Amino acid sequence: MPAASAAGARAQDRPATALRRSRLRALRRANWAGWLMVAPALLVYVIFVLQPLVITVQYSLYRWDGIGASQWVGLQNYVTVLTDQNFIQILTNAFQLILFFCVISVGLGLVVASLIRRVVTGRVGTAARTVLFLPQVIPLVAAGIAWSWVLALSGVVNQILGAIGLGGITQAWLGDFGTALPAVGLIGVWVLLGLCTVLLLTGMGKIDPALYESARIDGAGPVQEFWSITVPSLRNEIAVCITVTAIAALASFDIVYISTGGGPGLATMVPGLEIYQLAFVGQQVGLASALAVVLVLLVLIVVLPIQRMTGGEPL
Amino acid sequence: MQRREVVTGSLVLIVLMLVTLLPFISLFTTALHPSGSVPLGIDWPANPQWGNFARAFQVADMPVLLFSSTIIVVGVVPISVAISTMAGFAIGHLRIPGARALFLLFLLGLTLPLEGIITPLYYLVQSFGLLNTRLAIILPLIGLYMPFSVYWMRAHFVNMPSELSEAARVDGASTWDLFWRIHVPLARPAIASLTILLCVWTWNQFLLALVLVQDPTQRTMAGALGAFQGHYATNIPLLSAGALLILLPSLIVFLVFQRQFVAALLQGSVKG
Amino acid sequence: MLSFASATFRRRPPGRHGTIPAVVAAALLAVACAAPGTTPAPASQAPTAPPAASAAASAAASQAPASAAASAAASSASASEAQYCGTQPVTLNAWFETGFQLPFSLSQEFTKQFPNVTWKISQDQFTNLINETPRLLAGANPPDLVRLPTMVTLVKDGLLKNLDTYATQFGWDQWPSSELAQNRVGPTGVGSGSLYAMGLNYSMTGVFYNKKLAAQIGMTQPPQTLAEFDALLAKAKAAGLQPIMQWNASASGGGLAFPLQDLMADYGPASAVNDWIFQKKGTTIDTPANLQAAQHLQKWIQAGYFPKDVNAIQYTDSNGRFEKGEGVFTFNGDWEDANYDKQMPGNIGFFLFPPATAGGTYAAMSSPLTYGIAAKAPHADCAAFFFNWVATNPTARQIDVSVGGSYPGGPPDLAVPPAASGSIINDTLTAAQQVFKDNGTMGFIANATGSIFAQGWTPELQKMVGGQETPAGMLKYVQAQYLQELGS
Repeated sequence: MPAASAAGARAQDRPATALRRSRLRALRRANWAGWLMVAPALLVYVIFVLQPLVITVQYSLYRWDGIGASQWVGLQNYVTVLTDQNFIQILTNAFQLILFFCVISVGLGLVVASLIRRVVTGRVGTAARTVLFLPQVIPLVAAGIAWSWVLALSGVVNQILGAIGLGGITQAWLGDFGTALPAVGLIGVWVLLGLCTVLLLTGMGKIDPALYESARIDGAGPVQEFWSITVPSLRNEIAVCITVTAIAALASFDIVYISTGGGPGLATMVPGLEIYQLAFVGQQVGLASALAVVLVLLVLIVVLPIQRMTGGEPL
Repeated sequence: MQRREVVTGSLVLIVLMLVTLLPFISLFTTALHPSGSVPLGIDWPANPQWGNFARAFQVADMPVLLFSSTIIVVGVVPISVAISTMAGFAIGHLRIPGARALFLLFLLGLTLPLEGIITPLYYLVQSFGLLNTRLAIILPLIGLYMPFSVYWMRAHFVNMPSELSEAARVDGASTWDLFWRIHVPLARPAIASLTILLCVWTWNQFLLALVLVQDPTQRTMAGALGAFQGHYATNIPLLSAGALLILLPSLIVFLVFQRQFVAALLQGSVKG
Repeated sequence: MLSFASATFRRRPPGRHGTIPAVVAAALLAVACAAPGTTPAPASQAPTAPPAASAAASAAASQAPASAAASAAASSASASEAQYCGTQPVTLNAWFETGFQLPFSLSQEFTKQFPNVTWKISQDQFTNLINETPRLLAGANPPDLVRLPTMVTLVKDGLLKNLDTYATQFGWDQWPSSELAQNRVGPTGVGSGSLYAMGLNYSMTGVFYNKKLAAQIGMTQPPQTLAEFDALLAKAKAAGLQPIMQWNASASGGGLAFPLQDLMADYGPASAVNDWIFQKKGTTIDTPANLQAAQHLQKWIQAGYFPKDVNAIQYTDSNGRFEKGEGVFTFNGDWEDANYDKQMPGNIGFFLFPPATAGGTYAAMSSPLTYGIAAKAPHADCAAFFFNWVATNPTARQIDVSVGGSYPGGPPDLAVPPAASGSIINDTLTAAQQVFKDNGTMGFIANATGSIFAQGWTPELQKMVGGQETPAGMLKYVQAQYLQELGS
């Protein structure tokens, strides 16, 4: 760092005047004081985030039960994670959850936000914004408990289905191979819809109302408005929503842990829960770490292209 | 036409609100059934057992949990806010040498899932001899909050005009004076929003508590709820009552600070 | 959502987008190649020798309450409480299993008799305990007493106290060897070697039935053969009843492992199943006999003998629904006796899973309710004294039977206390005697390794219920998982 700051100083030194020089001294003081100000944050971040990240990579190259001696296995854990059928299913599950978390949350969020902004501008709209946001605030564990009860055989969903004459299709939604993962996906939508709505509402606030007025004059209905003005103008906000929901899907844990435990079979097993089980139940720390590294990379692989898509504009 | 749109739109929103509230309603009616019974999803009991809440309050050891969660929040939030504000100021406003690299380093953590580092975190905390203590949650959480917090505070400071600081410099203000007397007071809204967000996230933190702390009385509220579920899975009404009690504080905080909460979001996305 | 903090509200990173991958790559490449686990686990140490017996025996006896003195006299060794627990206040740090009253009742009685000993009891569900035990034992607060799901890895890692010295001192080695066999770990696996755990009592498993519903399908006496049982199940189904109530949700673990193992013992020898459970070298679960057993279970599944939501039913739900009359039969153990007596008085029956042919020998899962002591436990002596007290103190033995509902074990010359008349406990105690006589006690296939239940049986059984796995595929998969975990 000293070298860098010296180089910076030289660059600024060229049109040297007395005033400049004294300002420069102040600046340099500030620089060092500035580093002191960053130090505490940097320290905890390095110790509790970056260091474990590096150690995860290290663990992933060993076979280790977490307590006894460890054994170097090279990339074998990665081979297992990327070729074993169960791991492939677990990773596929995560991607299926992305479809639910992203597509439905963002799609529905767009509809709801446009409704609140353009159509239902009154008290109902305000109330909806508050109510839909509630799931963001409560512990996901509580949400998991509530939903496992709602989706149980004697839960509300089946009660409603029975009441409207669909008693035949009632089942334990979280216990069935066909419905468990979509059910978890919908719980995710429940959690994320409010967040997406609010983010998108913010973006809509920045759209020039004149656009809508001229569209109205041209005889466009709300649906056309939505597709030709709202959606294109919200490209950035949509990207943020997709990023947030995609990470939430890939890194889901609390809800799955509480509501299904990954079952039935591996139908709802997600990387986060599998890492936990491997590391702390199965005592296969190396394998868990390899999966953890894969998960970290997957998140980047999914998220970075979304950033690029919106690209261009400065922050 | 206009009228029909409004009615249809309102209906859609009302249905969505009902779906959102459904789990809460179901928890609530279930919590009022006799302890140990297996009621239907939504079914108002003939004889509401309000005592279930008192019982859940007692068996969940709620005062102890509230105390523990509060300690953790108090241990995490002020420090996180303080050090990230300083870092955000240095990176965003002082533009110290290497600021850009530092910022990228912090950004790296923004997408990092906690599961990616939870295993070494366990062994790290163990080597510090902190397992099963509140510090096992507090210290890693502060670290984990840094990417977002620094990012957030930097976003605020980067928009502050540098003339402000230069004027103060001419008056002989030290860097610390500049920060403490001029910029922190101006950053109050950003700091307040960050504080609220961190409080709620800390309160709801689950995985760290699950892995690093076995003793429910040393956990966060969410972690304790997980343990409570382990104990009373048998007793659906009691579990429902407990779940409601445990999510109540978050709910109250949200309803009270709703404006700041939403403001925080707006800020985040406008400035972000 | 855990990364909510780091994930939410984030926006595009500024500047060139190529930077972040570069930084990540750099960080990941900068990996030290040192082996993890640099601090080796403490080698299993011999237990701290308790103070010499002669030292303060008389003094302690006079300090102990009368009942304690009486119980000390009854016990085979001349052990006194003060000698093992001291006279100062002691707090035993214990981890019990949620939903089972026995250890709680025993601990209360212990404190009643020895007021200087109090308890700090933590509890969790069995599946969670499986997850937590290694970390608990290795952690900063090693428990003095902990429910053990499986022992081999824990012993290998030096986390459990070797109880051999206590066994000699208290005379446990004079007890029937079958009682302690499952708690011994040696070079060849479980079954022989040093003692690492004790059973609070010895459970028995089998089939409970709802008497009213059984009468409804014409069951006048328990089935004598598997074929008779099959016929009863078919009748129950035809009568529109739920033939079997069972749990199979991930949170509780796959309860279909109970009937599966019973079927295994019908199609093959119980000893083969035991060898696999106890990790004898070269054994496999994937045998022709076990395949037949798994196919039989599959037939039951396909015939609709289990509830259609069985994959979502947790242990406690299953019991709740059985008690409310849903299900003619349920596979469970005598630890539920007291509960059934209370919830369905006079309406609960029990029989051992019938052998394949009439007059065949009976086999059943019978596990010691296994508790161990952490290698680093601060009050190991006192915990060992507790074990001895449980097996020898008359009041404790009575609690074992009336609360735990199981055979109390202990010295063979001590009488088995009777349960209340009309209680199902008397039926399960009789059954236990039958199984012990037939030498048919088995461990539990779910306990073979630390994660064989969570990673093997449970998901595979769930898949079989969902029609996504074949019996052969299940056995093959579980065996592979078993080998992977044993590192061979």
